[in-house]
Amino acid sequence: MTEMLLIQIDRSEGSLQRLIGLIERRGFTIERMSLAEAGLHREVRIGVRARDAGRAVDVLARQIDRLIGVRRIAPSADTVHSEGAVPCTA
Amino acid sequence: MTASSAAPKIAPLPAPKTGARLVVEALDAQGVEFVFGYPGGAIMPVYDAITEASFKHILVRHEQGAAFAADAYARVTGKVGVCMATSGPGATNLVTGIANAMMDSVPLVCITGNVASPLMGTDAFQEVDILGVTLPIVKHSWIVRDAADIPAIFAEAFRIAASGRPGPVLIDLPKDVQIRVVAAPIQATPAKDTARRLDPSQMRRAEAAIGLAERPLLYIGGGVRIANAVAEVRQFARNTGIPAVSTLQGLGALAADWPGNLGMLGMHGTRAANEAVQACDLLIVLGARFDDRATGKLSEFAPHARVIHIDIDAAEIGKLRDAHIAIAGDVKTVLPALSPRPLSIAPWIERCARERSRHEARYDAPGDGVYAPALLKELSERAGDTFVAACDVGQHQMWAAQHCRFASPFAHLTSGGLGAMGYGLPAGLGAKLARPDAHVVTISGDGSFIMNIQELATLKRYGIALKIVLLDNASLGLVRQWQELFFDGNFSEIDLSDNPDFAAVARAFGIDAFRITKREEVSAGIDRLLAAPGPCLAHVLIDPKENVWPLVPPGKSNAEMMHGEA
Ligand SMILES: Cc1ncc(C[n+]2csc(CCOP(=O)(O)OP(=O)(O)O)c2C)c(N)n1
Repeated sequence: MTEMLLIQIDRSEGSLQRLIGLIERRGFTIERMSLAEAGLHREVRIGVRARDAGRAVDVLARQIDRLIGVRRIAPSADTVHSEGAVPCTA
Repeated sequence: MTASSAAPKIAPLPAPKTGARLVVEALDAQGVEFVFGYPGGAIMPVYDAITEASFKHILVRHEQGAAFAADAYARVTGKVGVCMATSGPGATNLVTGIANAMMDSVPLVCITGNVASPLMGTDAFQEVDILGVTLPIVKHSWIVRDAADIPAIFAEAFRIAASGRPGPVLIDLPKDVQIRVVAAPIQATPAKDTARRLDPSQMRRAEAAIGLAERPLLYIGGGVRIANAVAEVRQFARNTGIPAVSTLQGLGALAADWPGNLGMLGMHGTRAANEAVQACDLLIVLGARFDDRATGKLSEFAPHARVIHIDIDAAEIGKLRDAHIAIAGDVKTVLPALSPRPLSIAPWIERCARERSRHEARYDAPGDGVYAPALLKELSERAGDTFVAACDVGQHQMWAAQHCRFASPFAHLTSGGLGAMGYGLPAGLGAKLARPDAHVVTISGDGSFIMNIQELATLKRYGIALKIVLLDNASLGLVRQWQELFFDGNFSEIDLSDNPDFAAVARAFGIDAFRITKREEVSAGIDRLLAAPGPCLAHVLIDPKENVWPLVPPGKSNAEMMHGEA
């Protein structure tokens, strides 16, 4: 299943490399991706697919969220703000 | 009144400065004590400027040594460590040290020179895209494009390295940026306070779960040291009586003689610790990350336990094991805010204490050869509360973890996540500079020691009174042990019986050194080592066939421990 993430990220040098590298390193493939300017930031819409059953997209979202320069990340429909985001509870 | 005195007062313009000068000022502004580094072409302007720095530069003999020394300095002080190298090979030589700091969450600022901006991307001499190379192993990184940004970038770099879950950051300085003269550098803007607020509902749920548990257990990780939360953890353990296990990085968080301290869990953990984890019904995870060396087969780890996971890094929660109750916050503030009702877990406390004493390690190995676990135990006890061990990687590292007494987690420096041979000597050097009052001892093996043996020259140059215990089993012992147990004794490329005479090598570097070959020489050897006024190496010959016990075979559950002859 491809899951869509909407990420707002600083334009600083290396920020896209950091984002893409992290997603692949953490065991996901990038199925689609688009990039738009959003004021001072970039807005990246990215479709990811887990390589195996052990990978959870909500964990990936929190790993992306801790990248310096990520302002906002919204897994699926509802937006989770970067600061003060509550992690998973089971 | 003269005409000149009537003129409006205009603040003098700051004198123009080079980028290199701004680097030095930025480091001084952060109160940096030591920079561990090695010069070269692309960082020469900074080396030209550091002759006027307030900090002291320590010239190591390999850049990997610089990164490891800075890492150990950071671990024992809780401050940010700083290392510096030139472009290309200098920068790539830092890489292992940066990865080590990333894996163990150590705050480092790593500074590299690079070729001049117009040459970047042209395969220029000694050009490496070090920002690209290190992307997966840094918390953040910058290429400085404008020298005016140097004060702000350095201030941000120190803040990011040390805040939240600490980690290494890299600042790459093209040579032209170091040379450029700046009239008006941009100063840093103070960062916003981004401290998380604790979620009261999760806190109440945690208290309720603790109150209901019959067999609760604390699982203490390196986060406790990083959060400087030793006092809070001890208080919580004392108040509740809940027994505890520690990861390699959590050792020392609890007093060694507290009966509820079951020691290290995992692959080379104690039987009492691993059995408690398998039996517990509530696991309270404090700054730990379910590393596979600690958990063994994850699906069979703590099979009956509900999990409360407390970690400052929300991304660790649920990464490997789901948490029933997730608290993303600083252990130091979370624990004192938890006040569970009084527990009635006396049978569990008794059971854990009984298992602990039943499986106490024994030191009466037969023969008259040196028994390394006994030597390490005696060394740490005799050195006392100021003992700090800087370990290398291998059997000796596991013996140190199992048998040394650590007064706090700041006393145990070990390459846990990366497991990098070669850490011990430069780490000992960095730690001794940070804690000149302490008994800092590098515990190394004959394989590991040679990986950064050149740092003996650094010890000599600066008269750093580091003590070294080199446990020589004439082999790559841990690999030999795995070949014996899991590869049918097919010993492949582990023989080091042609080792040099390490004591003679040390003396050639100008370092006092001696040999210990028999058990009866151990006590006097420890005396000599601890009393030596300068750096001193004890070359200890041990049985090549000695193994580390107990052991959970790789991929197996922690319930399946193997026990050897010891
Ligand atoms: C840089 C590096 N290379 C290889 C390894 C794999 N490795 C782990 S332990 C070990 C043997 C260590 O030998 P020694 O330092 O003599 O310690 P001993 O196990 O004999 O106590 C090796 C090769 C490693 N951890 N780090």
